[in-house]
Amino acid sequence: MQLYARHLLINLEEEEARRRADPRRRIRRSHQYATKMAACGLFRSLSSNFFTVLPLLNRSATLSPLRLASQPYFGRTLATSCRLTAALKFTDKHEWIRVEDDGAVGTVGISKFAQEALGDVVYCGLPEVGTQLAQQDEFGALESVKAASELYSPLTGEVVEVNALLADNPGLVNKSCYKDGWLMKMTIGNPAELDTLMDEAAYERYIRSIED
Amino acid sequence: MMSHIRRTLSLCRSRSGVLQPARTSSASIGGGGDLVLQSRSTDVFQNLALEDWIDANVDLERRGVLLLWRNRPAVVIGRHQNPWNECNLPAMRSAGVPLARRRSGGGTVFHDLGNLNLTFFSSKKTYDRQRNLRVITEALRRICPELDVRATERFDILLNGHFKISGSASRLSRKSSYHHCTLLHSADRSALAALLRPSCPGIHSNATPSVPSPVTNLLDHAPTLRWEELLEALVHQYNAEFGLGSASTPVDPADESAFPGVAAAAAELRGWDWTFGRTPKFGVRTLLELTDERSAARGSARLQVEVKGGVVQSCELDVPAHWLPRRLSGELSGVLVGGRFCPHRAAAVFSEVTRSESCELRGRLRNLCDAVVSVMG
Repeated sequence: MQLYARHLLINLEEEEARRRADPRRRIRRSHQYATKMAACGLFRSLSSNFFTVLPLLNRSATLSPLRLASQPYFGRTLATSCRLTAALKFTDKHEWIRVEDDGAVGTVGISKFAQEALGDVVYCGLPEVGTQLAQQDEFGALESVKAASELYSPLTGEVVEVNALLADNPGLVNKSCYKDGWLMKMTIGNPAELDTLMDEAAYERYIRSIED
Repeated sequence: MMSHIRRTLSLCRSRSGVLQPARTSSASIGGGGDLVLQSRSTDVFQNLALEDWIDANVDLERRGVLLLWRNRPAVVIGRHQNPWNECNLPAMRSAGVPLARRRSGGGTVFHDLGNLNLTFFSSKKTYDRQRNLRVITEALRRICPELDVRATERFDILLNGHFKISGSASRLSRKSSYHHCTLLHSADRSALAALLRPSCPGIHSNATPSVPSPVTNLLDHAPTLRWEELLEALVHQYNAEFGLGSASTPVDPADESAFPGVAAAAAELRGWDWTFGRTPKFGVRTLLELTDERSAARGSARLQVEVKGGVVQSCELDVPAHWLPRRLSGELSGVLVGGRFCPHRAAAVFSEVTRSESCELRGRLRNLCDAVVSVMG
């Protein structure tokens, strides 16, 4: 545990230094800011236990797991952020967002329900990198034989990447809506907005209620 | 009449400001169900803006709306189309025919006063294009029983199994949808044919293409079918299909008090950024034919341009060195990069280059500039 905590602190500092040296800083400024905030959050949670943690780091003796287990805030922060990175969150317009490991960027796509309802996608109209979006803003449209269907941003943030594969292969949205058919990646300007979205179980219930 | 419209729409407005069916005052609106509206405007941008206004502001969960409209001559392309590929921009400019990009998908159409547009607004749940097209086919069956009109799987309507008299496109938004279609009563078919062809050759793009079809006018097959008669039959059939008794109410999309925000929406639709700037990324690869007026010599040059967001990203102009010094062709391609893919813009920046050149080169240079400008529509 002691070695892990040190390792984590060093990694975060190195990560920060690497980002500062990155020539593409301008585009990823908001990305950096969000990362920094996440990192600061973690530092804060660690430093709140500073008086207990520091002596532990300096000690050569091994740590009692019981003592560290009694730092509930530290443990809870790490566990929560791990859950967030894995799960999909859904909007009532059938978009999903998956928060990336660093917690600063989310990948956005449409759900299986949505792609089935749309039919074969023939064109993906997606935004430019750098576009600023507020939650629920229109950010593009998917065209299928059925219609041009508007896309709505699940969160507030900035577009940092758009799936270039979709230009020549829009059908990826149908074939692999949760993986290769992702639409765009955006920064998470306001993480609290994630709480307004549905988790997978709630989304399944929502689908069933619409279908009835 | 306009005060009646304002009253009708204001009666429908809920506390939140969104239009909703006014249950208690349904008798005064006439029918208490779907609305049938007829636009007084023949401006394509105003009518498209009105569509978006209705979609955004009327509560379509409980009631549908049918909007009938027609435009002065215009070309309308689909949401994700390439206008340089779909229509003859120089011919449109000479004829004073504007270009509009709509928000729904689908292909390119020619609008004029002989082309009736119908927009069926509904909730996403009740979105049913075949049902909407049945309104048209059943209405025509009633008033022109001798005509064979049928809707296809692609949501076209064919006359006598062969000629297209109607095409459809749609848009799905937050909670609502609209499905609009054309109906050729008496459109100018020669104008249609002249304008719906590419502006320049050699376009490489993944934009949604149009599917060209032979078209005909209803009037050519039913010479006594008056415009007003057609409209009446359609309104009657809409009410029969959707079980309501709404009379058609005229609306004016230029009326900002009835439709707040509609003028700004129309302005956005008129803008270059929406009309041309929204064109999916494309490339142009073509051969330019060059002539020297003085010596009657001929030459050719290769042009390769990449355009994104309507702006030139890169340009290669490969002109043989014996025709023009490479520094000149290099300069021409250089001044295009970063600017709009637009003939006016190109002509303006080119004139700066040609102005400073000596007489003997100017003729060939101008000829080359004209050839490049003509590629831009």
